[in-house]
This record gives sequence, structure tokens and C-alpha cells, in this order.
Amino acid sequence: MSNPVSKTSVVWPSTLGRIVLAVAGGYLFTYGFTAALARLLPLERVDALIGATLLSFAVYSGFVLWVFARPLRNALWALPVTLLLLLIGFGPQWLGGVQG
Amino acid sequence: MSRQPSLTQSMSALHTWAGLVLGWLLFAIFLTGTLAVFDRELTWWMQPELQDRQVDQASAVQVAQRWLAANQRDASAWNIGLPTARDPSLSVSAGEQRRGQRTLIDAESGEQITPRETAGGSFFFRFHYTLHMPRFLGIWVVGFAAMAMLVAIISGIIIHKKIFKDFFTFRPVKGQRSWLDGHNASAVLLLPFHLMITYTGLVIFFLIYMPAATDALYGGDRDALLRELRPDAQQQQGARRGEGGRPSREVQTASAAMLPLDHFITLGEAHYGAGMLSSLSVAQPGRVNARVEVRPLLGSRLELTKGEALAFNAITGELLRAPPPTRTSLLVQKVMAGLHFAQFGGYPMRWLYFICGLVSSAMIASGLVLYTVKRRRQSAAQGVWLRQVEWLNLACVGGLMLACVALLWANRLLPADLAEREGWELRVFFGAWLAALLHARLRAPLRGWLEQLAASAVLLLGLPLLDLLTALAVPDRIRLGVDLTGLGLGALLALAAWKVSTRPTATVRAARRAPAAMAEVQS
Repeated sequence: MSNPVSKTSVVWPSTLGRIVLAVAGGYLFTYGFTAALARLLPLERVDALIGATLLSFAVYSGFVLWVFARPLRNALWALPVTLLLLLIGFGPQWLGGVQG
Repeated sequence: MSRQPSLTQSMSALHTWAGLVLGWLLFAIFLTGTLAVFDRELTWWMQPELQDRQVDQASAVQVAQRWLAANQRDASAWNIGLPTARDPSLSVSAGEQRRGQRTLIDAESGEQITPRETAGGSFFFRFHYTLHMPRFLGIWVVGFAAMAMLVAIISGIIIHKKIFKDFFTFRPVKGQRSWLDGHNASAVLLLPFHLMITYTGLVIFFLIYMPAATDALYGGDRDALLRELRPDAQQQQGARRGEGGRPSREVQTASAAMLPLDHFITLGEAHYGAGMLSSLSVAQPGRVNARVEVRPLLGSRLELTKGEALAFNAITGELLRAPPPTRTSLLVQKVMAGLHFAQFGGYPMRWLYFICGLVSSAMIASGLVLYTVKRRRQSAAQGVWLRQVEWLNLACVGGLMLACVALLWANRLLPADLAEREGWELRVFFGAWLAALLHARLRAPLRGWLEQLAASAVLLLGLPLLDLLTALAVPDRIRLGVDLTGLGLGALLALAAWKVSTRPTATVRAARRAPAAMAEVQS
């Protein structure tokens, strides 16, 4: 890459969009992921909770890197996935609410 | 729509910005964390009224028992902080441990000692994870910075393809390339440490940072989770409340002769290993239902053993309760936390963490400087921004180092009986930092660096002298250790200052080499 993308030509709205998506969207995604994983792991619920939560920081950083590595429109795929994860994680609670 | 940049370019941008914006915070977190490795030793240094009597725990606990029996005969509970290798002081308190005022007594004569009030080495520890903000806010800000660190480390690896080759590359006197090499070498050399310390730091407060699973599986009920996690801990608290919490109703139980407390040191060491005990407490001392609890040092093993205790009947010596083994999943978390706290493995491990922490701090600082060195040759349009980064770098790196040494000097130079002494020490710490910030704003970058590095170096090199002149006795093993470490660090900073002073043309040289170096960064 000898032809450098000039530093100042970074489009600000899209950069800002990425940052918001990475930080806030990433947290929401990780939140959903952790809840869903804790729900799905075939362990006692305490162990599933700890396992999923310990992993969450790797998931978050992976998400942030992914948002910056891909074109922004690809990263928008994260939205439906996050909703699905939240549904897996919290669906039983919202629908029946007997757990806990 | 601009062309999508390559992976290396986007990762490079991410690395630069995450690293720059949070690098200032991260340097403060890493440097104070490194100092906190020796928090107890620093506290000991900061209370020169205390003397290392070199008595073993068995005889110290007898001294403490005599003192408590004479002064706190009717207390609902006794707590004894035992002298350890890192902190040879003996402390006693009565009543519930958390609220009780600790009294320090001489481990030999049992006389009460009143050392100076001090912020102590624990100031660095608290600053490390709260940045002196309200606890909850601080934990979140530090957590955010740690996430940025994690992202910066991984994006750094991605942009750094020649990871093994660069490992052996260091060109010490070549301007920007030296900064790049230095940053790369310190990053690559200790990559496992950087990753480990950042991730395990996040794991300590994992349920605060990521409550998702608690919310999903327990409806956010943290108490329900804790009950399931440690059924034993709840029992323990209930028991303690029953025995110690209501002295007025239970104080009438018949009195009975307790076994000498040193007996329980022997029992505790049989379980945890010699020299691994930190404290001992007695509930209902001198009564038939008296009960002794023996607590281990945090570092009696890799797992962080916070709040763990062995409980004995104080009259018969019978073991009432041993801590159950931690369940595997929680053990994983506690071992990770233990890896971060670095309480295991004794002094060799502590030194290893200290040195690694220094290298981590140096890596962050060199990354910050590298940013300005790289940008300095670019267009003048960035001049204003560059100037801001330059003085902020100096204020955050040089200024914090100066403030940390200033705290130690303040500890010895402020009058020992000053009212609110701890607050004054902190005022000196933050005052020195503020002064460094103003100084950084006003001076030309290189001169500013030279002067602040030199000031920190002089103060550090003077530390042994200060100790000799202001302490009441000859330095003991621990104080001597702090003095010599100060001397070593002072020499390092003096070397850095000397390097800065002998390279006035660094900018020019960097500019001349710019094209080559630029290609290298991008490759």
C-alpha cells in the first residue's frame, strides 16, 4: 500500500458511526451474547453464568475489531444478530418469567 | 464514498486512536498498578515509627493476646493482624473487624505505637483501579480503558506482521525507528504479560462489567447468585452475626479458659503452610462459646483467597469449619484474579510482576511518544493538535512519575503530627502533578521532558538519603529495599534525561528518515 489513504480524508460521520457502533453496539451485542451463551451452555446455571461472563471481554474486543475491519454496511448485520441473541437470553424471562 | 482501507490500515488507525486517547489513562493505571505490587512495603516505608522486631507469629500473637486481655477483656470479638514477611507490624482491634479502629502495638514489648498518618502504598493500589474517583465510577472508567487496551493489543498484533523478526531488531540511536523498535520490542517481548494482566484485570469485576448472564438467569438478583455460588459464605456470615453482632444479649455466657492463641497459629500453618497466615480473630473471647478464626495471606496459593478462614473451638481446639473447595468455574475466575493480584510466589514473583509492569508502562509511554515523533514531520496543519498531544504526553507520563515520588517525599517532610496528614500528602501528590502539567504546557517539548525526567530522577536518587535523615532508626530490610529500588529507578530516569539532553537534533534526524520509516510502519 504505497498509495496512502490521506489521514484527513477519513470521513468523519462514518468514523463516528463506527465508534458508536463499536463501543455501544459492541456492548449490547456482548450483553446479548453472554446472556444467550449462559442460557445455552449445558452446565449448572452458576457455572454457565461464570463461563459465559468470563468469555465476554474476548467477545467484546472481537466485535470492536470486526466493526473496524469491515465496511460499515456489513457491520450493520450485527443488529439482527444482537436481537436474536437477546431473544435467546431473555426470551424465557419475557415470555414466562418463571426462572430465578 | 471513500475506498475501504485495507485491514492493516484500519487496524493501524484503531490501534493509534484507541492507544492515544486512552493511553494517558492507561499509563496512570499501569504505573500505579506496578507500584501497588509493593504496596505493603511502601506503607511500611511511609511509617518509619514502626520497627521490625523479627518475632515469629506465635510469639507475636501471645503479645497481642496479653494486650487484648488487659485492655479489651469484655469485647465481643478480638482481631489480630499478624506480622508477615511483607509487613512486620502487629495490630489489634476489638469488635467487628470492618469498623474496628486498628491499634498498632510493638511485637516485642506490647506497647502501643502511634505511627504517622499516611496515604500509604495502598493509595497507589486504590488509584490503580479507581483513579481517585468515586469507587463505582472509577471502576467503570478503568474497565473501559482496559477494554481499549485489549483492543489496542490485538490490533497491534494484526498490524505487526513481522512479529518474530522485529523481536530481534533494536536500533537504539536512530530517532523514530528507535521509538518504533522500543515500542515493538517491549510490546512483543511481554505480549503474554500484557494480555494476561489486561484480561485478568477485567475479570476481577466481571459481574459488575457484564451483568448479562446474572440478569438473564437470576433476573438480576445478585444475592440469589451469591447464595448459590458460595453456600458456605452465607452460613459463615450468619454464624458471625449470631455470635459477634449482639454482645449485649450473649455476654452473659459462662467464662472459660481459652487455649493459648499461638496453638491456633500452629494449626493454621498446618493447613496453609508456614508463614502463610495473615490474621486471627476470636469471637466471644474468654467465654465457653469462644471461637477462633485463622485467615491466610491472599497469596497462600494462586487462587485469590479473599475472605477465607479456618474456624476452631477456642476452648478445645477442635476444627469447626474448613473452607470448602471452590467450585471449578468460580476457581477459574479466582485464579485469574489471583494472577492479576500477584500475591502468590513470594518475592521472586513480586519482582517479576514489578519489572513486567515497568516494561508495560514503558511500552505505553513509548507508544504515546511515537505518535508525536511520527506526526512531527507531517504537515504544519497538524501543528496545533500535535502541540496539545505533546504537552499532554509529558504531563501524563513525566508528571505522574514526579507526583509519585513527591508523595514519598511529602510523607517524610510533612510534620509527623500534622492534622489530616493523609489529606496533605495527597494534596502534595496532586499539586506536584498539576505543577508538572502547567510546566509541560509552558516549556518546549524536549526541554520539558528533560526537566521533568531530571526532577524525578533527583528525587528518586535522593530517596535513600531522605530515609536516612528522617527515619528514627537504621533502615531495615524492607525500607532498604524501597530505598535501593528508588535508587535504581532514579538511575534509569537519569539515563533517560541524559538521552533527551544529548539529542537536540532528533527531530531533524527523524524528518530525514521519514520516508523509510513510514514505509516500515505501513508494511
